[in-house]
Amino acid sequence: MNSSFRTKSRHGYSVKFSPYMHNRLACVSSQYYGIAGCGTLYVLDNQPNQIALTQIYEWNNGLFDVAWAENNENILVTAAGDGSLQVWDVTQQQGLLKIFKEHEKEVNSVDWSQTRNEQLILTGSWDTFVKLWDITQDKSLATFGGHSSIVYNVSWSPHVPGCFASCSGDHTLRVWDCKNPRSCAIIIPAHDEEVLASDWCKYNEYTLFSGSVDGSIKGWDIRNPMIPISYLQGHKYSVRRIRASPFNGAILASASYDFTVKLWNIQKQICLQTVENHSEFVYGLDFNLHIPGQMADCSWDELVHIYHTEPVF
Amino acid sequence: MTHRLQTVLRHVQVSQPQTDLQSYSTAASLPNRPDDIVIVSALRTPIGKAKRGSFKDTLNDDLLAAAFKGVLNQTKINPADIGDICVGNVSDPSAALSARLAQFYSGIPPEVPIYTTNRQCSSGLVAVLNLAGNIKNGVYKIALAGGVESMSTYGLGAPKGIVFNPRIGESQLTQDLLLPMGITSENVAERFGVSRQDQDEFGFNSQLKAKKAADAGLYDEEIIPVSTKIVDENGQEKKIVVTKDEGIRPTTLEGLSKLKPSFKDNGTTTAGNSSQVSDGAAAVLIMTRDEAEKRRLPILGILRSSAVKGCPPDIMGIGPAVAIPLALEKAGLSITDVDIYEINEAFASQALYCVRKLGIPIDRVNPKGGAIALGHPLGCTGARQIATLLHELKRRGRRGFGVVSMCIGTGMGAAAVFEYPGPAQ
Repeated sequence: MNSSFRTKSRHGYSVKFSPYMHNRLACVSSQYYGIAGCGTLYVLDNQPNQIALTQIYEWNNGLFDVAWAENNENILVTAAGDGSLQVWDVTQQQGLLKIFKEHEKEVNSVDWSQTRNEQLILTGSWDTFVKLWDITQDKSLATFGGHSSIVYNVSWSPHVPGCFASCSGDHTLRVWDCKNPRSCAIIIPAHDEEVLASDWCKYNEYTLFSGSVDGSIKGWDIRNPMIPISYLQGHKYSVRRIRASPFNGAILASASYDFTVKLWNIQKQICLQTVENHSEFVYGLDFNLHIPGQMADCSWDELVHIYHTEPVF
Repeated sequence: MTHRLQTVLRHVQVSQPQTDLQSYSTAASLPNRPDDIVIVSALRTPIGKAKRGSFKDTLNDDLLAAAFKGVLNQTKINPADIGDICVGNVSDPSAALSARLAQFYSGIPPEVPIYTTNRQCSSGLVAVLNLAGNIKNGVYKIALAGGVESMSTYGLGAPKGIVFNPRIGESQLTQDLLLPMGITSENVAERFGVSRQDQDEFGFNSQLKAKKAADAGLYDEEIIPVSTKIVDENGQEKKIVVTKDEGIRPTTLEGLSKLKPSFKDNGTTTAGNSSQVSDGAAAVLIMTRDEAEKRRLPILGILRSSAVKGCPPDIMGIGPAVAIPLALEKAGLSITDVDIYEINEAFASQALYCVRKLGIPIDRVNPKGGAIALGHPLGCTGARQIATLLHELKRRGRRGFGVVSMCIGTGMGAAAVFEYPGPAQ
């Protein structure tokens, strides 16, 4: 049931299941822990006995995040350490279709819109800006300024068209309307340390989660951003990535610098399970949309794992 | 690329991520069962200064009736549904009658039974635990606990004219039962090295915390305003409404350090670092979880465990240090899993000893002040602490654990662990 893939000499940064194919996932990674060197994009197929490598693409800088297109099963977008974005067609050996270069520093996060009738992507960068893109255009559609430090994560609201959240090294979580790049709608002073991770609840349009260098995860009702609605403690070091379950509104998963992945019940505010599969920082984490309970993660220990969580959510 | 290295280093170089989080509980919620004992209301009267305060002319039955009425009004339950009432009281020689009077004054019909209990300073807590035990045994599903003490009427609890068996002098252990409480405080301070300065600071902080809490309105949710009568210096009776605690007073550490020892020469226990003599009452309505859910009553707290344990009578103040670990063990919790400890401040010496002995982070102890500032109406205190604890956990808005504990004259400690389940979903 559990299988692994070694990203040899590459340290995992992000992993995402395909929204179209139940057994396909993409992983981006970087040489030398992302401090220097190249990046590699892996397209992997989870087969009964192994994880098979379907495509492999190189970029001459570290790759920090990846997103699947929601309107084409073969298109991927990656975010790179040189401030650029790459659009890939995974059916081709030379898969690179397009490059966008506007961010002045590392692009840490990329997300493809999940609401209907929008095929837009967001990027969050170390240059403190968030950018909105349509990959059929040549330039970004809008730039969102306001954060005073690295933007670590951007994520579209799964409910409200044009609404997205960003989190930053400036300790805040922000909610934006993409029609209004001049100012963000809500600023949540979420933690006393850098906020590295954020995600939306898939079952409540007002609920947003943040994960921080302080090791905690907080839940927020964006209508009342002064007090967290949930507070999850247990990670010994920074929370790098959080994912709200697509199957159960009470379940959240988190990946941490403490080498573990944890599953939480956010209503009861308890840790349900600690997955200790790695021997280095865990950076990437995702739920499979097609197979309840199946998850994938990737780590600086050069391993991608696919596994089932018990009980199955 | 050095900036990338620095960024990653920032993510792992946070200085002890746990420290600034210590005031939060990390323990998982305990499993919920339909027969859990839950508290749906816990309220108290203001605490008056004995002999001089607003309740100096208010008797036990009236104080207790005010607390009963508060709880009944808040929950709107039919008083006839109450299976039993238990009232904690220490010094009223006709406590059983006072309790029954209070029951009738508050509109609870004669069909509902009532009794009183006396385990000294823990009586208000023990009343809750007694009823909880009976609910667990299936005797009834709903019960009303109370605690009351008019120290204006009955003084410090040692009635005059008691005939002691001469055998009481035959052993040290039995003799120690006659020690004034203040001397047991001196014993704890001496034996375990709690200095005068430590005690004064503890007392000062209790006053400071209580003042801050009162100014911020943090007591408002737990206090029921009481209409009563008071006789003024001209012998005129007048009607008043009491809404605030009377023991909280402006003080300075310097002022406290100048007070004379109250119990022995060269002693360290003073009026400023001991609990005050007071009047007050509190009431707690408990039932099974399924009963509360059936009645759609919000759950303010869940009783998770309790313990009472004995200790030598001459150092009776160490009671919480023996009882709290026992209660926590039964609940499967550790010291740091608990957000708030309400430890009765009979004396700063013993409260501080217990906090140190158990290694409780001081910021989790009596966050709204304790008996040094509010007063210690003996039989009321345990129930009063439950009200103070649960309303503070509720105000913080986060699921968490709290402990109520106190030392008990003649050498015992009692403790109970409560869980606040978080705001209703």
